[in-house]
Order: sequence, then structure tokens, then C-alpha cells
Amino acid sequence: MAIVAQNSKYGQTGRTILAWAVGLLFFFPIFWLVLTSFKTDADAVKPEFLFFFTPTLENYTNMTENYDYWRFATNSVITSVFATIFALAVGIPCAYAMAFNPSRATKDVLMWMLSTKMLPAAAVLYPMTFLTKSLGLFDTHFMVIIVLCLINLPIVVWMLFTYFKEIPKEIIEAGQMDGVNTWGEIKEILIPLAWGGIASTALLCFIFCWNEAYWTVRLTTTDAATLSKLIEGNRAPEGLFFGRLSAVSAAAVGPIIVLGWFCQKQLVQGLSFGAVK
Amino acid sequence: MSAPSKTDSAKRPVRLLRNLNAKIASIPMVATALVVFIGCTTWTVVHSFTSSKLLPKLDFVGWEQYDRLWGTRRWLVSIENLAWYGVCSMVLTLLIGFILAALLDRKVRFENTFRTILLYPFALSFIVTGLVWQWILNPDFGVQQVVRDWGWESFTFDPLYNPDIVIFGILIAGIWQGSGLIMVIMLAGLRGIDEDIWKAARVDGIPTWKTYVVVIIPMMRPVFVTALVLIASGIVKVYDLVVAQTSGGPGIASEVPAKYVYDKMFASQNLAQGFAASTMMLVSVIIILIPWAYLEFGGKKRG
Repeated sequence: MAIVAQNSKYGQTGRTILAWAVGLLFFFPIFWLVLTSFKTDADAVKPEFLFFFTPTLENYTNMTENYDYWRFATNSVITSVFATIFALAVGIPCAYAMAFNPSRATKDVLMWMLSTKMLPAAAVLYPMTFLTKSLGLFDTHFMVIIVLCLINLPIVVWMLFTYFKEIPKEIIEAGQMDGVNTWGEIKEILIPLAWGGIASTALLCFIFCWNEAYWTVRLTTTDAATLSKLIEGNRAPEGLFFGRLSAVSAAAVGPIIVLGWFCQKQLVQGLSFGAVK
Repeated sequence: MSAPSKTDSAKRPVRLLRNLNAKIASIPMVATALVVFIGCTTWTVVHSFTSSKLLPKLDFVGWEQYDRLWGTRRWLVSIENLAWYGVCSMVLTLLIGFILAALLDRKVRFENTFRTILLYPFALSFIVTGLVWQWILNPDFGVQQVVRDWGWESFTFDPLYNPDIVIFGILIAGIWQGSGLIMVIMLAGLRGIDEDIWKAARVDGIPTWKTYVVVIIPMMRPVFVTALVLIASGIVKVYDLVVAQTSGGPGIASEVPAKYVYDKMFASQNLAQGFAASTMMLVSVIIILIPWAYLEFGGKKRG
């Protein structure tokens, strides 16, 4: 027994070292991005300054002064927060109906919704642009929120569905016995019970909205433009303005990295779709 | 336990009405999705049979756009690239994700921190991912140059600048971004497997790797399906990675179908050609999707 225990101890150390080597490999690009954002554009392309250089905040001050970072950031926050709220407001009742009152079509509807995630966005890009322009919604917060909400709804409903399914039907039925109506049931029983799952879903939806680039870049110009648009707008022919571009990118992903660190548990739980207890 | 079935059937008509609110609540979503997806898609398909150039118009020319599409080398290259990228990304992301999960499942110190670090790439947008890897793989100041400065003068690693392998260079970024997510899902699946199965396998003297292949992986089938769906939705988004890293270059070596569509529609004012290309993308997704969905979900319902 002692030998087995010792063996597994060495095994564990070995695995830990291996895991951390992989972890470093995965983390390095992000680390490099942040590091580069503190270099001048000239230093950024010199390999000899990879780790040793004179840090400067120039890129960040330049970004906030000349590129109106805060407006883009505010737009990102507004659109992501509201899109998440809307997606939950529509997704919770939908997932509730599917989880507790399934019909023969439930699986098909769920599958169909998910399959839209795999459709190429390019196929509806032109009609969508056309539609938003003719409705006068191009470059408005409202439209960005609706689009973000729509593209994330399938995932939101799917995730909520998997969480709600875990809740025993009897608890919901007990509520009916007490004469609670549907909305009361959702509000008083379902939401408190599935709170963890809902929080994870919301977090994930928020991250997806924040990162969305395909639509936000193409359906906005200035008023409702998000951080993705700011990065896109700062992209230059290769090798130019790397310091500046890193600063913009780091400032765009920074909030997500911080949020992810503090919500590790929800993030992991959300991404494993409720399978982690 | 026989009583509930009686009450169940007695309650059924009431239940149908009771959930009416929730059913009505899910109508807006289904309706909007229908209008946006079906409506816009139909519009695109119809206009792919016209000769629309700068503006959409309805003068039908039959299959002309499709003939031209399949006669264009750039389109053929795009299809080939997507196929390579798709297959490699499916296999490698699943493999790496599973191996990492298996590694983590057998107890590693600071597991939570490690898990979060591996998830970080997934929290980054495709644009940022593309940019970061463009720098790392740049031969003049990325990994290649750093290694050469260390003394290995002939070291060559410039996948993004070699037309033969550029799509695999893009794959590196895709895998970096996707495998953390797959690992977390796989880990959840592994943790969901009963400890007794491992014990039974150990008692029978089955080697660990064989237990994984023969027992554990078949048991994790639903987890693999979820993982595949997520990887597939990532493959569709390869466009952003390509644009951020190579813009389709060198030459046309890393073009992908979505980029062809976008360029035809917005850069070269050839709308109908773009519509035809996007219809082809749509058709191919449907051809792959329907048989799979039928097998995955249709079979179970009957069983």
C-alpha cells in the first residue's frame, strides 16, 4: 500500500509539473499582449526587448486621449448588459416551458435553435444590413442589443434548459398545489433554485456579447460602436503600431480577464453546462 | 408509486392551460428567430439567382452565378481550406481537450487556477486572438526571431507566411482558443462518471488507457456531442481569425468561404455572386447537419 501511495504521489507531482507547463504555454500569448502594451511602437517589434524594456504608459494615455476609449467601453457595457438581460428575460420562460412541460417537439425545437448557431453568418449579413438601414436602426444601441440578444439566445436557452432539467418536477408541482401561478412559480421557486445556473448563463452570455465582432463591427460606425470596432479600426498593415494595438486589445479584454478571475466558479460551471456539481 | 400516474392523467388538461403563459412567452423568440433566419435566408437564396451587382434586383439569370462560382479558383481554395481547418480542428481540439481533462481528473495541485488559465483564451475575442498569434508567428519579431537570437540560427517557424501550410498556422490560434473550453466540458463529463467503474476496471486488471478507450469514452457520448456542436460553431467563425491573421494571404492561400462572400458583397460590388456563395455554404451546412441531427436525436426518440 505504501508503495502505491508513494507512486501516486510522484505521479501527482509529475502531472502538476506537466499541467503547469501546459498552463504557461496557454497563458504566454496573453502575457505577451499585456507586456507589449507597455512598450513603445518601436520597442514592440524588437525581440531583444522581449522581457527587458523601459515600460511606458504612452499607449494607454494616447488611447484614452485620442481614441475615445471610454465611449467605446461604455457602448460595450451598455449593449452587453442589456442584451444579456433581454436574453435571460426571453430565455428563462422559454427554457421553463421546455423543461417542465415538454412535448414531443421540445427536442426538435431545441435542436433547431442550436443548429442556427452553426449557420454561416455571412448568409444573412446583407439582408440584415439592408433591414437595419431601411428601418433607420443602423448604428443604434437598440439594434446592437437586439442582434447580440438574438445570436446568443440559442446558447442561453440551451444552457438554462440543462439547468432546469436538473430540478425535480415535484418541487415545481408542489408550488402549483399551493396555488401559485406560472409567473409566481418562475419567480418564487425556479429562479431561486436555479440561481447558480442562471448566474453562469448570464456571465457566459455577457462574455459572448462583449467579444462579438462580426455583427458589431459591420452594423455600427460611431454611435453604438463597441470595443471590437475600436480594435478593428486600429488595425494597421503588419508590423505597425504594435504597442498601440496591444494597449487597445488589452484594454478590451482586461475587464473580461478580471471578471473571469473573480467568477471562476460560475464560469467553469457555466461552460460545463451544469454537469459540474 | 402507482398513484402519481393517476393524478398525472387527471391533471393533464389543466397543465396544458396552466403553462400557457410560458408557452406564449416563448413565442416571441421562436417568431423572431423564424423571421430573421428563415426570412433573411430565403431572401439571400432568391437573390443568388439574379444578376445583382451594386444593389439587389430581381432579374433572374438561372444558375449562372453558381457556374461562375465553381469556376473560380479562389472559391475552390476557400473550400479546401475550410475542409482542412474543420477536420483538423475537430480532431485536435477534441484530442487535446480530452487529454488535458484526463490529466486534470487525476488530481493536480492548484487545479482551479489551472482551469481558469486554460479558459482565458476562450474569453478573448477572435480578433484579439488573431492579432496576438499574428505577432507570435511573425518571423521578424515573433518566436522564430527569438529562437534565432538564442543561437539557433537556422530555426524556421513561419506558418503564416508559407502558402502551403498557412491554414495550419491559423489552426494553432483556433486550437489555442478552443481547447480550454472543451477541456472543461470533458472534465465535467469525467467527474460525472461513477468511481465504482474505475474500481471495477482496476479489479479486473484493465490498463488505464484501455479503460478510457473502451469504457469511459463510450459513456461520455453526450459530452462529446456537446463538444462537437461547440467546435462546429467555432469553425464557422474561422473568418475572424483569418482576417485578423493573414487577410487571406499569402496570395489567396488562406482564403475561407465566409471571406469570399464578404468580399464579393461589400468590396467588389458583386452581390449575386456573394449570395450564391453564401447559399452554397448554407447548403453544405444543412447537408452535414441534417443526417447527423437525424442520427443523434431521431434514433433516440424511437428507442
